Amino acid sequence: MDTIDLFELRAHFNKSRILLCFNGPISRSLIEEIGNALKNYLQADHAQPSAAMDVFSVYVEMTQNIRHYAMAHGYDELQSSATVVVARDEESRYLVQAGNMVEKADGEALLARVQALANMDKTKLKSAYKAQLRQPRDESAVSGAGLGLIDVARKSARALDASLSQVGEQHAFFSLRATI
Amino acid sequence: MNALHILATQSTPSVTSDWEQGLLTMQGDSYPENSFEFFGDIITWIERYLKESRAPLRLELRLVYMNTSSVKAMMDIFDMLEEAHQHGRQVGVDWFYDPRNERVLDLADEFREDCSFPFQIAADG
Repeated sequence: MDTIDLFELRAHFNKSRILLCFNGPISRSLIEEIGNALKNYLQADHAQPSAAMDVFSVYVEMTQNIRHYAMAHGYDELQSSATVVVARDEESRYLVQAGNMVEKADGEALLARVQALANMDKTKLKSAYKAQLRQPRDESAVSGAGLGLIDVARKSARALDASLSQVGEQHAFFSLRATI
Repeated sequence: MNALHILATQSTPSVTSDWEQGLLTMQGDSYPENSFEFFGDIITWIERYLKESRAPLRLELRLVYMNTSSVKAMMDIFDMLEEAHQHGRQVGVDWFYDPRNERVLDLADEFREDCSFPFQIAADG
């Protein structure tokens, strides 16, 4: 019996207070479309304009980071999959989570980076952000060159939470969570 | 080719330019995947204006949400204005925001911290 029980899936979504989720290959236009849906949900959910913008912003940085990573590694469509969940916790805070497949060594470096950011207070994070903003640009890089993760950490009310699940010998699934 | 007119899309702001008036405006959200591609033409216009004209330059901004790569590109623009200002050129930024969203004020204010030329931030409407 490999059928998908939609009713059960729905019950799980509701129980976990999931507002929006996505799993699959993610494109530039999908990021915009899902972002648009997210904006509408947040408005319908009566989120404060500043909280809505923080949630949207964290969603954009996380998903664009996943896209840049997949493109930089020449991943095919299937490997470029992202898993994205926006939910609410018991205290009605917004949780934004995103995950993707990475090279195992990159995943470990990312975990260490998130841990380093988790140990910084808001003032230190701001200094780190401004320092990164002043880094000379890598000519080949089209992204914000390392600013995204610091920005997500600055917007998160709690320390960022990251985990790594090994998949095969060389790959791992990297998952990151911010709380707004 | 002194005119720069870009229509807004979901992820990029509208841009207008007026060489005679020395005015560049940007309005809307900015979160393109490749910000340097989008900001390239704007940076080129400002570079040319600062080089070929001696008149003042004013940026009128109504930017709302910016992703970090747009922030990085915008910082490059403000650095150009800062350098011109250091050489005695008259440059300035007016950033208008919707007072219901304080995040825009935070964003504009963090840019202003790094600029010594006239940089006004004002609630719109």
